[in-house]
Amino acid sequence: MDMNQLHFPILSLITFLPLVGAFIVALINEEHENLIKYVTFAFLVLDFIISLPLFFYFDPTTYHMQFVERVPWIKSLGFQYYVGVDGISLFLVLLTTFLTPLAQLSTWKAIDKKVKLFNITILLMQTGMLGVFISLDMFLFYVFWEVQLIPMYLMIGIWGGPNRVFATMKFFLYTFAGSVLMMVAIMALYFLHHKFTGVYTSDMVKLMQSPLPYHLQLWLFLAFFIAFAIKVPMWPFHTWLPWAHVEAPTAGSVLLAGILLKMGTYGFLRFNLPMFPDMTHAFAILIIILAVIGIFYGAFVAMVQPDIKKLVAYSSVSHLGYSMLGMFALTQVGVEGSIMQMINHGISTGALFLLVGIVYERRHTRLISEYGGLASLTPAYAAFFMIFTLSSIAVPGTNGFVGEFMVLLGAFLYKHIWGILVAFGGIFSATYMLTMYKRVFFNKVTNPKNLGLSDMNIREWLYLVPLLVFVFWIGIYPSTFLSKMRVSVEHLLKQVNRTTVVSPAKSEQVSMVKTVVVKKG
Amino acid sequence: MLYSTHDLVAIIPELILTGFAFAILLIDLWLPKRAKTVNGLLALFGVVFSFASVLTMYNTNMSAFNNMIVMDRASNFASIVMLLTAFVAIVMSFDFLKREDYNLGEYYEVLLFSIVAMQILASTYSLIVMFIAVETLSIGMYILTGFLRNKDESVEGAMKYFILGSFASTFLVLGIGMFYGLFGSTDLNVIRMGLTHASAFYKWIAILAFLFVFVGFGFKIAAFPFHSWTPDVYASAPTPMSAFMSVAPKAAAFLALLRFVAVGMGPIEANWTKILWVIAVATMTFGNTVALWQKDLKRLLGYSSIAHAGYMLVGITAANELGYGAVMFYLFAYLFMNLGAFAVAEFISQKEDRGTEIENLRGFGYKYPLIGAAMLVFMFCLAGVPPTAGFVGKYYLFSAAVKSHLYWLAVIGVINSAISAYFYLNIVVVMYMRGEQEKEVNVFNSVPVKAVILLTAICVLYIGIFPSSFLSAALNSIAF
Repeated sequence: MDMNQLHFPILSLITFLPLVGAFIVALINEEHENLIKYVTFAFLVLDFIISLPLFFYFDPTTYHMQFVERVPWIKSLGFQYYVGVDGISLFLVLLTTFLTPLAQLSTWKAIDKKVKLFNITILLMQTGMLGVFISLDMFLFYVFWEVQLIPMYLMIGIWGGPNRVFATMKFFLYTFAGSVLMMVAIMALYFLHHKFTGVYTSDMVKLMQSPLPYHLQLWLFLAFFIAFAIKVPMWPFHTWLPWAHVEAPTAGSVLLAGILLKMGTYGFLRFNLPMFPDMTHAFAILIIILAVIGIFYGAFVAMVQPDIKKLVAYSSVSHLGYSMLGMFALTQVGVEGSIMQMINHGISTGALFLLVGIVYERRHTRLISEYGGLASLTPAYAAFFMIFTLSSIAVPGTNGFVGEFMVLLGAFLYKHIWGILVAFGGIFSATYMLTMYKRVFFNKVTNPKNLGLSDMNIREWLYLVPLLVFVFWIGIYPSTFLSKMRVSVEHLLKQVNRTTVVSPAKSEQVSMVKTVVVKKG
Repeated sequence: MLYSTHDLVAIIPELILTGFAFAILLIDLWLPKRAKTVNGLLALFGVVFSFASVLTMYNTNMSAFNNMIVMDRASNFASIVMLLTAFVAIVMSFDFLKREDYNLGEYYEVLLFSIVAMQILASTYSLIVMFIAVETLSIGMYILTGFLRNKDESVEGAMKYFILGSFASTFLVLGIGMFYGLFGSTDLNVIRMGLTHASAFYKWIAILAFLFVFVGFGFKIAAFPFHSWTPDVYASAPTPMSAFMSVAPKAAAFLALLRFVAVGMGPIEANWTKILWVIAVATMTFGNTVALWQKDLKRLLGYSSIAHAGYMLVGITAANELGYGAVMFYLFAYLFMNLGAFAVAEFISQKEDRGTEIENLRGFGYKYPLIGAAMLVFMFCLAGVPPTAGFVGKYYLFSAAVKSHLYWLAVIGVINSAISAYFYLNIVVVMYMRGEQEKEVNVFNSVPVKAVILLTAICVLYIGIFPSSFLSAALNSIAF
């Protein structure tokens, strides 16, 4: 069923090109800082360009994995280098290749020490992040999942703010502790699958059809849940996030919010939903409750933040709550909305972090009270900020609206009460974002230090305009994106809604029946 | 005739080393003081030839000397680990001994003899031969620990090691005596036969004997509660020897323990797995928890080696082929990561083998970018983060536990991994995130040491990314 319409290992090329770039940058003398920046940027842009055929050649009519590559890796245990994308991971891969060059571009001035090491780190991170989204072998997935912790750990720890060591240790240990439990679950899944089917495999596509009995699903589901809930982060596992965001350099925050957090939501879609369908139904209500708490909690805490960056960080908790809500509403529109929300959050929150970085670079403070009246001093900056603020609070016409509306619709279809309740969340997000906007940009300039502020330069325009394009593209014509994920989401929901199978013999019958149905369909 | 020349084939690797050790003993007498490095080169050649002989005979499966000695893939695999360790340790010793002005032939000679004892320990099913081998290798280790005889800590460490080691040996010999009393033999195959048909009472006695024997092995592998010598000895021994001791004797003792439990104790598996479960958990948890407070790199590595012994005990506790193979693989992986980390400790050490405080690593990553990066790799490897050999090794150890349905053991193991990440990463923090070193720190600028650091780092990454062939070799080496 695997297909690779390009007959070319495009996914490996995209994933490992940045690694090659890291080696090349490592060879450049540390003193040629500009050269290092250009080479890194060139590699990242090249990576993005190479990833575009994924979009154009993607076949939206099938849920099967595409652009697949499969090579035996650890033979004695049957682990493979098995990669591919479907409608769910496609956009996360593209988001990664799209966002990283922009993030790198934002660091040209902001990072002034250890420039070489920084650029190597960002290239390595790119490889790690892409690896997570393309892996279809569980062992491979786990390797990438942990690998990408290292560059982020270094990025926060070396180039971060005053509390960087605490923040980065908390980030690493929190995530690591969550993921080692997942490691045990992955091992258990491997052996249990063998027990019920007689096959040793770490092939995720096969494991998704694993006929696990109800009681075993419980522990496995919980182990995966903890790992992903920490990563998302869901309330109450979010405490590492504000620290990491506040201390991280701008590019770190952008990648953390834009891509790393999506690994959590992606993990739910890839593992928890299809592999443990019974538990997904059983836990849906609990996770929805946590998601809704997260939506409101994030919004309330964001309201009282004196620090713009922290405000945006808490808004992430709220936004990803929407994504989780839509996912566990388990309706077509909800899940699609959840994926849209992931992409939108990457774009608008990424952009907001970039914008905060711009003003921080000039004034070295992020306190809201330090600013005021910026609209008259830096009009272009204020305009950009306005648009991304509106996108963040989901105003119709922007990308945020599409995602949130679909999630709300999904939640409404699941149970009316959730849809109605969460609709109020939008009010709060408007409150904190607009209040912050008002205090920073409107009124008179009260702080004389701001008088010398210069407006955005060309480089800054360059990395914000692409994001702006997507705000309106997704906002006005989301079909470009939705049409590609529809079939994959349908298939996912079919997997979630399959009947519980207890005995292995029965499962074979069912899967046979299924394949017949699929072939006929 | 009691022995035939055929028997000698089984001990060719040992004979080669013994030959070289005697050669050093003789040649050393005529060497002028400035030419003492020749001893080291001779020892290196001995190790290389022995290694070559092991490789050529890798797939041999024979027993000799009335089944007292066996040569099989397991013993050969362990030999490879020990000889590689010895090779690296000797390379680390060249400049070290010159700096400390202890460039004596005895050092290499005792080292070679102790490797012979380790190889014997790894290739026997006879408890009495195991005992003799343990004693012989221990004497070598005691001497090497106190080799810097004008340094008080070093002598103290050796003394401590000696007294505790002798104490542990008495338990070992007591246990062996009990087995002999029960079954009339010290051969593990015979003991197994006897245990299969033994009455319940005999089995209880056997469990007691098992405990006594385990004290002896537990001491060598530094399992809780027989670990207390480890940090002192590692911190005070000459750094290349600490490195050597942290891997080679453990490899031998682990294989002997494997043979003991998997072959000899097979019939009472249900009992000893419970005992080892407790010991594995205690060892991991103790090593990792205490390591959190260490200020000295060598001492930290001492506690970390206790923890790693705990991880390997998880593989034994799993009591399946995957677990035994995983232990062998882990030893192989552990060789590179630990030797690399100790080489970094040597790199920052000052005369008299001092100055290995972690604080001295401040800003190290910027001053020595390559060596700093290598240390970063070792630390992530010891913590078990991919893409390193340490991760792959832990993955197999714990998945063996999961395979045997020891879920809690695996969970405790991975939680320990997470705890250990804190102190390993703390070193990375010191190297990269705490700014520059204020005071001028001279490093030990030895080319061989630097080469060791970089090569082991490359090996660690290579094994981590392409573990397939190493893993197959490790899994195939176990066929008891």
